[in-house]
Amino acid sequence: MSYAYLFKYIIIGDTGVGKSCLLLQFTDKRFQPVHDLTIGVEFGARMITIDGKQIKLQIWDTAGQESFRSITRSYYRGAAGALLVYDITRRDTFTHLTTWLEDARQHSNSNMVIMLIGNKTDLESRRDVKKEEGEAFAREHGLIFMETSAKTAANVEEAFINTAKEIYEKIQEGVFDINNEANGIKIGPQHSPSSPHAPSGSLGQQAGGGCC
Amino acid sequence: MAFQMSLAVYVHSVGSLFLTICLSLLVNFYHSWRSKGKQHFGKSGKIDVTFEDHPLNPNPDSQWVAYFKDNDVLVQIDKDVRRLCPDIGFFQRATEFPCQDVVNAAEMETLRKRVDCSVLQSHTVMKNRQGAYNWKSSKKSTVEYDLLPDGKEAHWEVVERILFIYAKLNPGLAYVQGMNEIIGPIYYIFASDSEREWSEHAECDAFFCFTNLMSEIRDNFIKSLDDSAHGIGNMMMQLMNRLQLHDPDVGSLMVTQDLKPQYFSFRWLTLLLSQEFPMPDVIRVWDSLFADSKRFDFLIDVCLAMLLLIRDDLLKNDFSSNMKLLQRYPVFDIHLVLSEAVRLQKS
Repeated sequence: MSYAYLFKYIIIGDTGVGKSCLLLQFTDKRFQPVHDLTIGVEFGARMITIDGKQIKLQIWDTAGQESFRSITRSYYRGAAGALLVYDITRRDTFTHLTTWLEDARQHSNSNMVIMLIGNKTDLESRRDVKKEEGEAFAREHGLIFMETSAKTAANVEEAFINTAKEIYEKIQEGVFDINNEANGIKIGPQHSPSSPHAPSGSLGQQAGGGCC
Repeated sequence: MAFQMSLAVYVHSVGSLFLTICLSLLVNFYHSWRSKGKQHFGKSGKIDVTFEDHPLNPNPDSQWVAYFKDNDVLVQIDKDVRRLCPDIGFFQRATEFPCQDVVNAAEMETLRKRVDCSVLQSHTVMKNRQGAYNWKSSKKSTVEYDLLPDGKEAHWEVVERILFIYAKLNPGLAYVQGMNEIIGPIYYIFASDSEREWSEHAECDAFFCFTNLMSEIRDNFIKSLDDSAHGIGNMMMQLMNRLQLHDPDVGSLMVTQDLKPQYFSFRWLTLLLSQEFPMPDVIRVWDSLFADSKRFDFLIDVCLAMLLLIRDDLLKNDFSSNMKLLQRYPVFDIHLVLSEAVRLQKS
């Protein structure tokens, strides 16, 4: 299917916060109560529409454990958006956000849009991190913020789509250099001035270019 | 190989014995170990703290420093083993043979208690009119999955103990995600053995086989060795080279579509395919794998066979569909995959 733009996303955060479940809910509209542990990276894709334009989201879901961060880091660089996820019922996943954010900022391009996500709002009775705390953290670090539930699908669409909107606005403002694939944005085949099928020779120099 | 294949099929019903034969190089040692095994387990949670040491002691030799470090490892293991093999439900069930030393010991700090204490919890502090402070835990329940009552243990708790002891005995490696997916099938084979004599000793037997297997594949879990001759990077490269040789069309597709081997074969190879197939098929694959004298060369052949069996789809699809296909490998008759792998091995 043709698209105007392709945005590359990464999903990061501690083990077990629901990264893979958010992806599954967004791409397949289903919930798996216990998901297999993610080893390495998992992939998902979906088409959305913004401003009447078809946008393809290519999403890389990463493993949570420190040992895999060397692998994870190579995905950061070519990403236009990041979903930084914590679990509202586990405070440690919230306190680790600073490390994740430092890591993401250090290894990605500076314009990457980061959405902070407090997941598992269906477990309200076990909530351990207040919504206000999430909001404050996001404000302090210049992130967009949302609370979601991969189980009930609450706000899941919005989280992915609002991130895309933000990226789209940045493109309109000319903040992103869309000709540089290392920014995680690719112009769709029908919009591209050059032949879409000729793989660019420079693809190898930035990790995880991933054509589509 | 024909002999190995038939042997593998023949012993499928006595999986535990087979696994032990394949993964035990030192059979005599194994027998003495098994008798000692029972004493070995269950004592993992205990710590002796002398008067000189205290929890805030910053000395790296401090037992408390080690204790807190161990707790980090334990909490990580705990998160992972609770979600082990969600499709079969076996690991959530109670074991018939819980470790008596652990479940009956009131005074001992079990792993359960240790995990519970190690999880960071927030409390709300409020000052009342008299100026006194009240602490209120904001949580109603601390765990996501219910634990079995005292005196019982779920299979995942046994696996947790195995991984924790392994991590303690191998501090350089400790625990890396994915090891849980290796111990999973091993423990399952022993614990579900119809011979009571085998299932009773599942914990020590699984530990023993896991340790032996890990000695062969531990490099896959050490990130600094990723690019070494024995590391996972080299295995992925071998797979891609073999693919190029056997099917240049698919080989060059991988390059043009930028389907990097680490996107799919990292998991295939690191976990010995344990996440790609349902449990019975995983056991069947492992039978052939462990029966082969060149186990990990054969693993590459199996991965290659998997790629060749879906070649027509791969050549038709775009990048996204191919990624999904490779990460969610379609259901096949597992014997088809294995016989293709044997054919490739001979070629």
